[in-house]
Amino acid sequence: MKETREVDVQAETEPRKETEVDASDTRRRVRRRGVEEPPPGASPTPRLPWWANPRVGLVVVIAALVALFSSARPAFLDVDLTLVPLQRDISVFVVVGLAQLAVLSLGHMNLAVGRMAALSAFAAGLAYDRFDAPLVVGLVVALVVGAAIGAVAGAIITATGVNSFVVTLALDFGLLGVVALLYDRFAGGVAFSTRPPGMDELRSDTFFDYCIGPVCGPPVPLLLPFALVALVLVGLFFGRSRNGREVLMTGASLRAARLSGIPVGRRVVTAHALSGLLAGLAGFMLAMTNGAFSASIGDSFLLPSFLAPVLGGTLLAGGAVSALGTALGATLTSVIQKGLNLLQFEADALQIFIGVVLLVALSLDRVRQVLAERRGVRA
Amino acid sequence: MNVRRSGTAAVAVVCLAVAAGCAKQDAGSSASSAAEALSADQVKVALVPGGPHPYFQPWKDAGAAEGQELGLADVTFNETAAWDQTKQNDVLSSLAAQGYNAFGIFGVSPENINSTFADLTDQGFQVASLASCPAGDTNEAAFCLATDVEVAAYRAAQAAIDAMGGSGALVHLTGNRVDSNTQRRIAGVEKAVEETDGAVELVQTVTDIDVDLQSAQRAVADLLAARGNDIDGIVTTAYNPAVAAAEGVKSAGLPTKVVAIDDDPSIISGIEDGSVAATVTQNPVGQATVGTYALAKLLEGCTMSEPGAVIDSGSFVVTSDNVETYDTEREAKTDELMTAFDDQYLSCS
Repeated sequence: MKETREVDVQAETEPRKETEVDASDTRRRVRRRGVEEPPPGASPTPRLPWWANPRVGLVVVIAALVALFSSARPAFLDVDLTLVPLQRDISVFVVVGLAQLAVLSLGHMNLAVGRMAALSAFAAGLAYDRFDAPLVVGLVVALVVGAAIGAVAGAIITATGVNSFVVTLALDFGLLGVVALLYDRFAGGVAFSTRPPGMDELRSDTFFDYCIGPVCGPPVPLLLPFALVALVLVGLFFGRSRNGREVLMTGASLRAARLSGIPVGRRVVTAHALSGLLAGLAGFMLAMTNGAFSASIGDSFLLPSFLAPVLGGTLLAGGAVSALGTALGATLTSVIQKGLNLLQFEADALQIFIGVVLLVALSLDRVRQVLAERRGVRA
Repeated sequence: MNVRRSGTAAVAVVCLAVAAGCAKQDAGSSASSAAEALSADQVKVALVPGGPHPYFQPWKDAGAAEGQELGLADVTFNETAAWDQTKQNDVLSSLAAQGYNAFGIFGVSPENINSTFADLTDQGFQVASLASCPAGDTNEAAFCLATDVEVAAYRAAQAAIDAMGGSGALVHLTGNRVDSNTQRRIAGVEKAVEETDGAVELVQTVTDIDVDLQSAQRAVADLLAARGNDIDGIVTTAYNPAVAAAEGVKSAGLPTKVVAIDDDPSIISGIEDGSVAATVTQNPVGQATVGTYALAKLLEGCTMSEPGAVIDSGSFVVTSDNVETYDTEREAKTDELMTAFDDQYLSCS
């Protein structure tokens, strides 16, 4: 109950036009309509200052860390060796974060996010290996397989009423075996060696390599637009589409959603299918970055998938999501990882520092909100 | 920011890439692959294992010692890759950004590692694949200096079969199933078992227990509890299962013959007291020493006479007969490798 109130408050603080991509404003809009003309005597929800917005906080923390790392290690600003690989990592982890965000919107979890990525990557690899499919066909295959397995997870959850945690955990174990068996059977090992035409370009080129006359593009990897498109579409889905808003309402209160005539079962399937689809995209992108369709794709997706959305202000309880925040959260974690790598921390120290930095980032966020709330209430 | 505007921008960016008007710059423009020869004090070597593991610990001192002997600017050891290929790529590009120009790499995933090697090589760095070779027939690194895992597993299985008296039930304990090296180890053990014409039966191959010692101990305890009396021999081809099997069989007091891998102190003492029949040791010191030496030579202007050559760093069966002397054998192999690089693999003008 408390969390719900916070989000409403936080939502009220953002100027209407600021983050349309940010889908957390679904209920904001619902609510704003009511607030526009409050009934006489009702106290208006206090407005929070702009700095209480978690996204602003993340931008500040990211900027501070970039300044810190680049002054300690000028190599942090090396384009080819630092910035381009960093953007590539961020692209993959934004999509991974969005895959988790899709079900966090319901208050659900997808513990099989990595294995769905592995299965999708397998399907794409199979398409390239056996059918000589062009690059884009493999991508479509990966997306379809991801969406299908996600929909299956959603359907099981709807049909049985079992908690998503349990269903996707079971699915994860199942898929672990299935993926290993599939690679064994169809790839004769643990990876496809086939590389479709265009794969090398997609993984290593940046727009800087392509010129129209004397004008070349920015040093941005070709993979980044994939993440950007996913980000915008997910933002639009939750922020603008009817289905997306119905998913969020189902997440905010299942009973209220059902009583309002929302087909909650179908929306659960929708959200999980979207999660699977995005996991499939992430799997495809990671296969591109790493240079092979292998069974180990997705192994490291689980924790980052929660970290990015939660850092960005998405609630674990459901009902409020922030696509833009997820992108910032993924950026923050990648920047920390990269910076600490450059400072050459020892393995154990690295883990400790990542933990500490994240804890500080999250606490600052909380402190800021509490301060803002107090000020808002007094005002 | 307006959604539609940003959406349009994104689409425009994608169009930019595929537009027919785009022309790709020459591939060579950013790479400095034809780098001039460096002097020893300009060589900075990074030895990068796939993650923390006891096997790689000797690399640290061996690499540093060799660097000092050759007068290199620096030899560093970085084990922060945490068994994740994405993280390892990240670690490598970070090291490169800091001026390291030669890399001895144990790739996390042998299936993908050629892409990583090619990326580094294209940017003018020297790369050696140490302790593990890329999966498949090509090696994009200058050379691969590693234990031939299939041969090592085959020899380990043979030692186990000998210890069992040539017949009985054998169990194979090993590491990550979705790793092509594990697949080759399994193949090596199966080959040795097949050669007995049915006298030895491979009753079980337990995979994925090399994550840490606890999970290996648990797996061994479960195995011994379930069928300890029916097993005549255990062959292990990964570090943690080896330590766990040696301890497990000893404390259960079973007559099972254990063949271990590597030379953890507990395994060596097991050989001395007879509870471990044999172990197959590898040559991590030689990999780091010879790897660092060859990488430095390559930056100093030598070339590989056969780029991508795969070189066996040696594996040594240790039993109670040679437990005192196997290290001499290993040092001799390292010296032999050093000579082989000078005479055969490297061509220096």
